[in-house]
Amino acid sequence: MTRVLSWLLSALAIGAFGFLLCVFLFQSGPVWQSEGTRYITGVSWFYRQDVFGALSLIYGSLAVTAVALLLAGPLGLGAAVFLSEYLPQKARLVLKIPLELLAGIPSVVFGLLGIALLRDWVYRTFAKFDPLSGDTLLTAGILLAVMILPTMVSLCDDALRSVSGAQRQAARALGLTRAETIWNIVLPQASRGIASAFLLSVGRALGETVAVFLVIGRQDNNLPHPWYSPAPLLEAGQTLTTKLGGAETNIAFGDPLHWAAIMGLGVLLLVLTAGATCLGTLGRRRHA
Amino acid sequence: MRRGLDIVMGCVAGGCLLACLTISTGLVWSIARRGWGALSFSFFTEQIALVGASGGILWNLVGTTVLLSTAFLACAPLAVSLALMERVWLRSESMKKALRLGLYTANGLPSIVFGLFGFLVFVQWCGWGKSWLAGGLVLAMSMLPTVTLVVLERMAAIPQRYIAAATGLGLSQSQVAWAVLLKQSWGGLISGSLLGLARAAGETAPIMFTATIFAGVTFPKGVVENPVLTLPYHIFILAQDSFAAGVETKMWGTALVLLGLVFSMSVAALPSRLYLHEESDV
Repeated sequence: MTRVLSWLLSALAIGAFGFLLCVFLFQSGPVWQSEGTRYITGVSWFYRQDVFGALSLIYGSLAVTAVALLLAGPLGLGAAVFLSEYLPQKARLVLKIPLELLAGIPSVVFGLLGIALLRDWVYRTFAKFDPLSGDTLLTAGILLAVMILPTMVSLCDDALRSVSGAQRQAARALGLTRAETIWNIVLPQASRGIASAFLLSVGRALGETVAVFLVIGRQDNNLPHPWYSPAPLLEAGQTLTTKLGGAETNIAFGDPLHWAAIMGLGVLLLVLTAGATCLGTLGRRRHA
Repeated sequence: MRRGLDIVMGCVAGGCLLACLTISTGLVWSIARRGWGALSFSFFTEQIALVGASGGILWNLVGTTVLLSTAFLACAPLAVSLALMERVWLRSESMKKALRLGLYTANGLPSIVFGLFGFLVFVQWCGWGKSWLAGGLVLAMSMLPTVTLVVLERMAAIPQRYIAAATGLGLSQSQVAWAVLLKQSWGGLISGSLLGLARAAGETAPIMFTATIFAGVTFPKGVVENPVLTLPYHIFILAQDSFAAGVETKMWGTALVLLGLVFSMSVAALPSRLYLHEESDV
């Protein structure tokens, strides 16, 4: 009885997730047939003309994630180094509590904080570049950086502590200072765990919707010219998730091709986040 | 020189940690400072009025509670079954590994994906329209991996000799599951669910297409076309409007209430969360 029940319920749970994948794949079918690879490489998205090119959305997602990672990466790693290498066990646990609480702030409240604190700051700070408003890719990236910071610290801390204490003692006994031990022994050995901390944070940043939605400006078809130009960072943009969270999802339902294009964005998002999370998890597991 | 570098390294790392802690406490303080003024007894007992500029958030609290209870009831049996599957019924090591990897990957899926799935399946195909049940089920799906993983960790931490003793006494696998595994991991289910619910309580993306509207409903009376008001969606809508002074205070008040709700759930689950971070290897 127990056995049958747990098989059934597990099948239901796994089935639901499998169904989710199938729904996204099949529902996005028409757009892959109609647009082919242009769906990914196309630079314009005009749904009234049935033109669906998701490149600017992919760019938006990657750009805000990159900004977030550039800011939160070094800061989080530094904090993790101090937590794991300099502090005694008790102090570590106490200091981790506020970080866990930061992780608990809901994304919509982060969005609100972004509107209230960050938007104007970005507008004023970068005034000489003449941004149209404070709703920019950069604003979204900075906000995301704060949001992924706790994940980053927590996972980097785990990675650093998985290096055995004997290695540190040996290094210190050979006369290395604490800083040299960290640079030459601990960080190289923890590099794999740190890499997966970055990957898991990337997964989180890519999937974040509501907070980014509130501060990014949601302007379609914003791409850099030439491709390496940082100018679009100070303009409004759009990411995969903000597109999905916007009003267009409601409009699209009913028009098969437009709906397929929306579901296609879901597929892209699933591939990117699942890829990052999966790699990150595998890396951690082998490392530990 | 080496001594100097050593000191610099400590200062930089300490500075990073200090910055993280300042950001975290600063943000919480900034929400509390702005929202404190809105809190009063009537804020919790009145319904919304004047597009959020007046009245309280009674039905938003009720709606969020309805969604969370539904999500918990739908999620808990599935999480326990999946965990038992991994611990007891699945024999092959590679199947177990695949299940665990699947859970970790599903744990990282963006919540908007669940929202779209719910919109298509429950709202459109099942014809429920915006409904509390659709929202509850979508939230249940989004928190299922977290809850399962916590229960799983707790079950894996049960000493092997308990299971050996139970088996030695002649208990069948099902009896072992009930008498040892489930009995010893109730705490895991509770704290895992609290963690999952804390996250679900603040989610906007999964419920905005499936379950919630801004105003005009009270307690749901059926399933079809029975949306609820929720705290996160309330904030989400108000945040996009211009900030009239009255709205702004109420909005921050709502944010503070939501934060309080989420924090109290995470704090209740905090000991086991820290413990998990200390002990788990994946």
